[in-house]
Amino acid sequence: MIGIVDAYRELDWGYYGPELLTATWETLYLVAGSFLIGGFIGLLLGVTLYTTRSGGVLANRPMWLLTNFVVNLIRPIPFVILVAAIQPLTIQVIGTGIGNQAVIFGMIWASTFAIGRIVEQNLFAIDPGVIEAARAMGAGRFRIILTVILPEALGPLILGFTFVIIALADMSAMAGIIGGGGLGNFAIVEGYQRFRTEVIWLAVVVIIILVQLVQIVGNMLARKVMRR
Amino acid sequence: MTRTVTAEASTDRLIEFSGVSRVYGKGAAAVTAVDDVSFGVDRGEVFGVIGFSGAGKSTLIRMINGLEKPTSGTVTVLGLEVSRLSERRLPKLRARIGMVFQQFNLFTSRNVAGNVAYPLKVAGWSRSERDARVTELLEFVGLSDKAGHYPEQLSGGQKQRVGIARALAAEPDILLADESTSALDPATTTEVLRLLRRANEELGITIVAITHEMEVIRSIADRVAVMDSGRIIETGTAHDLFSDPGDGEGSFVATALKDRPDADDLARIRRHTAGRLVTVSLADAGGVGRVLGSAANHGVSFEIVHGGLSTTKSSSYGLLTLAVEGAADAVEGFVVELRGVGQVREVQA
Ligand SMILES: Nc1ncnc2c1ncn2[C@@H]1O[C@H](COP(=O)(O)OP(=O)(O)O)[C@@H](O)[C@H]1O
Ligand SMILES: [Mg+2]
Repeated sequence: MIGIVDAYRELDWGYYGPELLTATWETLYLVAGSFLIGGFIGLLLGVTLYTTRSGGVLANRPMWLLTNFVVNLIRPIPFVILVAAIQPLTIQVIGTGIGNQAVIFGMIWASTFAIGRIVEQNLFAIDPGVIEAARAMGAGRFRIILTVILPEALGPLILGFTFVIIALADMSAMAGIIGGGGLGNFAIVEGYQRFRTEVIWLAVVVIIILVQLVQIVGNMLARKVMRR
Repeated sequence: MTRTVTAEASTDRLIEFSGVSRVYGKGAAAVTAVDDVSFGVDRGEVFGVIGFSGAGKSTLIRMINGLEKPTSGTVTVLGLEVSRLSERRLPKLRARIGMVFQQFNLFTSRNVAGNVAYPLKVAGWSRSERDARVTELLEFVGLSDKAGHYPEQLSGGQKQRVGIARALAAEPDILLADESTSALDPATTTEVLRLLRRANEELGITIVAITHEMEVIRSIADRVAVMDSGRIIETGTAHDLFSDPGDGEGSFVATALKDRPDADDLARIRRHTAGRLVTVSLADAGGVGRVLGSAANHGVSFEIVHGGLSTTKSSSYGLLTLAVEGAADAVEGFVVELRGVGQVREVQA
């Protein structure tokens, strides 16, 4: 025990402190950036999958087949391989193949399709009777999506998105492979490659705190919405 | 008594089915849910459709607001041919038709007031108009104190009252009720039926109610269609249907009412009476007492072994099975007198 305490007492905080802070901000940036865009597109994909299926409010078989095919095609590709594979596209869109923005671009591609499935699954849990009731009242299809389908599934959706944010934090740890930063990169470069386990554990503690915070907020919001 | 409703349009005819069929699936797996059905519903009526589960009732009622399309035939509602309206033009018609469901289908994301206000938002009412209307409706269904409650905080009966308030919100011409009381206990059923009756009588709303429960038809329907395997096999006024349900075997009403003793009942009855068994159908329950009272004058005695007197929404009727004992000619004299108040059928034991 004394050994551990001493290790952190002797740590060069003047160097590691600011580095850790920067890495934390970078992780937040990577996660927030990819979540805002990927979450939004994923939501659209999930709603498309749910509503275009036969019997859905926008039932459209070609559209459903196409969406379903694309999701099934891209979702299983491992993150590292996908990031490497889309390099040319990344350079086209971002202007460079490396750095945090390139990482966000890759994370969007890697997460959007999984988010689509998560959203679809949560929408499936809605009682079809309430959608039918809205139709019987003369509500249009887009009104039904916005004022019935999404609100009725809001609680589970919040929990789903909480899970997604945590998965994105996990994904962001690999940012280093294309020159991105963040806590994962910090742990590898400053800790692992220099045989400084106590530095790796700094990143671990920060990650645990961040993930716990996200989970607590997510649970709170979901409980509030579901009135439990 | 079976009345075939002709397709000619009267001015106050709100709903008209003409040769309507609905087939699900194709080829060998095809199910004809609704089979060549024609009937009409006039303004202000409560039209009941009764039949066993799977008879096609839900399919039928869902064609009225276009939730379901006929495979053939035409459905005309409020002067519009529903069967030919596009999904885009249907909402306008649907706004004039309220619907109540067996499982209530309340929005769990909205409280009671929010549920009732929803169709008003759809219809484009302003905020203040909506608030006023919601207050008025919650008063009508007796739930003013529950405006801020969420569906899971309500009992089944309260949920259905919210369902009815929501269905009536946008001042529809027609109210569709699909098994509106089938998920409720008898006491709550009575409460909900009373509410539907008030909607019809006080607000003048035309109601189409489908159900597998005789009680529902008996207490609210003016006219009734009996459905079996997709077809309408009997139509008539509720009174006609109940007071003279046709001959036992094959008649849904007779079977469901159990108005005549079946083989088991007869065996039981025969164990303690040897009298002549007759069933009397009374179109009007009034006057029966005097006739029964005359038994003594004929020198016969009788016992009511099955059935009784009952009421529909607007009339009374009776279906009594009597065991009459006495000298054969005296019994005959009494039976002749019974024929004067109702239709008499011999019961073979
Ligand atoms: N969407 C559907 N797809 C296939 N068959 C259906 C569908 N809806 C109803 N049916 C069939 O049509 C028949 C009538 O059903 P329904 O109208 O629900 O009867 P009811 O309301 O009288 O119980 C049943 O045999 C049922 O299985
Ligand atoms: Mg049904």
